[in-house]
Amino acid sequence: MRQLAITVNGEVRTADVEDRTLLVEFLREGLGLTGTHVGCDTTQCGACTVIMDGQAVKSCTVLAVMAEGAEVRTIEGLADGDRLHPLQDAFSRHHALQCGFCTPGMIMASLDVIERHGADLDAQTVRHELEGNLCRCTGYHNIVKAVLDAAGRGSPR
Amino acid sequence: MTAQRQAPLPDGWAYDASTVDAGVLNAELFSEIGKPLRRREDHRLVTGKGRFSDDFSIEGQLFAAMVRSPYAHARIGAIDKAEAEALPGVVAVLTGQDALDDGLTAINHSPVPSTRFDVRLTAPDGSPPFIGPHLLLPVDKARHVGEAVAIVVAESRAAALDAAEMVDVAWEELPHVIDSLDAIKEDAPTLWDEVPGNTFVDCEHGNPEATKAAFEEAATVVRAKLHINRVTAVTMEPRAALADYDAETGRSTLYAGSGGAVRQKRELSAVLGIPQDDLRVLSYDVGGNFGARNRVYVEFGLVLWASRRLQRPVKYTASRSEAFLTDYQGRDLHTEVALALDADGKFLAMTADNVSNVGARCVSLSPLSKGAGLITGSYHIPVAHLRTRAVFTNTMCTQAYRSSGRPEVTYAIERLVDLAAIETGIDPIELRRRNLLAPQDLPYRNAVGSLYDSGEYEANMDRAMALFEWDDVGRRRADAKARGKILGVGLANYVESSIGTPKERAEITVAPDGAVEVVIGTQPSGQGHETSFGQVVADMLQIPAADVTIVLGDTDRVSVGGGSHSGRSMRHAGTVMVMASADLLRVARDLAAERLDLAPDALDYADGTFTARGTNRSVTLADLSSEQNPLSVARTNEMHAPVFPNGTAICEVEIDPVTCQIAITRYASVDDVGRCINPLIVHGQSHGGIAQGVGQAMWEDCAIDPESGQPLAGSLMDYGLPRIDTMPFFDVEISEVLSPTNPLGIKAGGEGGTTPALATVTLAVLDALRPLGVTDIAMPITPQRIWQALDTAAATPKEKAPA
Repeated sequence: MRQLAITVNGEVRTADVEDRTLLVEFLREGLGLTGTHVGCDTTQCGACTVIMDGQAVKSCTVLAVMAEGAEVRTIEGLADGDRLHPLQDAFSRHHALQCGFCTPGMIMASLDVIERHGADLDAQTVRHELEGNLCRCTGYHNIVKAVLDAAGRGSPR
Repeated sequence: MTAQRQAPLPDGWAYDASTVDAGVLNAELFSEIGKPLRRREDHRLVTGKGRFSDDFSIEGQLFAAMVRSPYAHARIGAIDKAEAEALPGVVAVLTGQDALDDGLTAINHSPVPSTRFDVRLTAPDGSPPFIGPHLLLPVDKARHVGEAVAIVVAESRAAALDAAEMVDVAWEELPHVIDSLDAIKEDAPTLWDEVPGNTFVDCEHGNPEATKAAFEEAATVVRAKLHINRVTAVTMEPRAALADYDAETGRSTLYAGSGGAVRQKRELSAVLGIPQDDLRVLSYDVGGNFGARNRVYVEFGLVLWASRRLQRPVKYTASRSEAFLTDYQGRDLHTEVALALDADGKFLAMTADNVSNVGARCVSLSPLSKGAGLITGSYHIPVAHLRTRAVFTNTMCTQAYRSSGRPEVTYAIERLVDLAAIETGIDPIELRRRNLLAPQDLPYRNAVGSLYDSGEYEANMDRAMALFEWDDVGRRRADAKARGKILGVGLANYVESSIGTPKERAEITVAPDGAVEVVIGTQPSGQGHETSFGQVVADMLQIPAADVTIVLGDTDRVSVGGGSHSGRSMRHAGTVMVMASADLLRVARDLAAERLDLAPDALDYADGTFTARGTNRSVTLADLSSEQNPLSVARTNEMHAPVFPNGTAICEVEIDPVTCQIAITRYASVDDVGRCINPLIVHGQSHGGIAQGVGQAMWEDCAIDPESGQPLAGSLMDYGLPRIDTMPFFDVEISEVLSPTNPLGIKAGGEGGTTPALATVTLAVLDALRPLGVTDIAMPITPQRIWQALDTAAATPKEKAPA
């Protein structure tokens, strides 16, 4: 056990962790930030995606100790008070979520995609970039629409 | 039984305004129903504030891990717990014998569908079938890989998992059987001594003599042997449960997402042998269901039992590997079908021999039963003969999975129709047109007894073809060819049944501030009940949808309720909410009349307010409610009549003949869902339904090695889920032919996306590959399967290939 300090959503947070503790366990169990989900054990589903030092990472595949001193942004840190982030708002308007379990990871991964591609984003790029985030409910149709809309690319359909 | 056009609806089927006490609904007054309202659920879910089962934790909780069978079939000898118990942090290791000693009993899944209109399924001798008792932990033998035989409880999850590996079970491996067609062979290993030969359901339906006669005089007969492969739901949220025991009150609380908390409470309290009131089940946000969560899981009972024994909270969360091994799975039907046609291409008769693989014990016969009632699909087939069998094998149990039973039989009939088109030389669309039921044929009793309520089947097909730009397929085909790709199109018509648990209850309360609360017993897992149910109650009470809050998933609030399955929720909840709303307005009218000192019929009601006719004196619903005397009604309804959603879907694929990769380039569908309450939600349901059907057709497969009995798809790396880069955009439209069976005219939405998709994908691939000599291909249609099919076709002399 050791005490670890990670900046999460702008605040320095500390918790006692074992060396084997995963970043997602630190977030969920250490800090009670249960918006980040665990949907698999092989880094396939992407439900645990968070932003770490500006990059989307699957927090089930990062040891908490590797994130020491890092800046981590989770789904809980996206909205501005009651005002949703444009991506959160687009997901809702386009009905890009049903059960909502994959949604936090999908939104955090999309945030990264939009930041990297900006106005160049198109449907094919969205599909290519989000290939590592699984959703079982939506058939992805409305997710692609929401991401393009949030990126300012309008709606393709 | 013979098919019957314009069959009368039986007593109690047709919506009767007088028995429902709701009057005839005036659709012109609807202002919220039919609107694509954004969901009320979304805010918490997009901000990370959802309440999924594993999100709950209680101070001092323990963690459970399971000791699972590594064998498909093995006798359980001595279980040595000593080494596991000695590990630090381990609190208890419990076995099936401990559970028996504590008086725990088997889960009563009641797997035989029992509404008045389900196809009856019995044992070969006509008696109720033996289903294989489902103890939380078996004591005699393990009957499938992954079956839990002991539970370890420890201070941490890691400690529990470490200890589970140290539990030493003296296994005696037994011969196993995986495939149902192997299990019915004479020398097959027997799973249950009570059912030698493994076949525990064997029934016949329809009219064997008339069918035989029709086949004898047929101009054309086509046959097919098909396997609708085993798949699994892969809910993105693995199942999880947290049990808490309050020694002072003797009550347990279970935080566990499911398909309906009321059922969980009823069946789990029975397993534990405690009064129902001593168990509270909470099912808040549920990360996908698709049928897999409808039945009770042993782990839910185990954490409850352990927490009562140890007097501490106990939590269990399945890993994805455990989910692949032990989530209730779906499909796995062998069907042998034949269709007889006359010289004009009119269908004369059909036979089907359906064998369902239920796994190691029977938790649900819904797939077999549902499919049995729909073998003739959307077509007029005067007579049919059907045999239905259900068989035990050494595999995980199967259960209703997204559109239980219907994709299987839709796949079968549409494959047959396609074969018939080839055999007779009649254009496949024209052949369908000649045999589709016409609107005036409905209500229609099909040859196995199902009574279709309403629909415009041919109009669905025409509309879907227009949406798909069917007339342009030739050009697209040539265009694909120019790019070195082979294009194929596949069309399937479907009709399905939505039945479901018949009972539902609604409690509606108006608070003094005007807020309306509705308690209902369905259980959404993404279908947006909090939004769409609000739309219904809002219109019934003529108030804004934003004023209505829906309460679900807490058995301390919800006393009766059938949960969500079989597309039942909107129809059953909608109906009982209409009835309860009418009750509420009646009670309120009397109160308002008293308040205004007038006769009840001297009042007009509009927009939440009673007004004395011709005056400006009025009282609102809120005025009639107080903290001491809230304005409140409760209504329970039992409704057996099924409904028959229907539609047409069309898939276009492009195949790369070099790599054998398949890309779906276009997918269109028209779904008759009856009245659509919220089109945004219904379209979303269709999209997801299509993806699940396409997934089964193209990638998904619970592959099991027949030699060892070992499941080969144990993670998302070896089970092919639809991904965002393998799915197209969909062109889906809704048709609203109202059902005559319920006040809102609702059928069901969502499952209609899945039902025809197995057929559309397969037919599209066959359409593409037929010129190359490929006439059959099994699901999932992977590039390897295409390569093999092309290879086999190339090696087959041309003259032997069918014309």
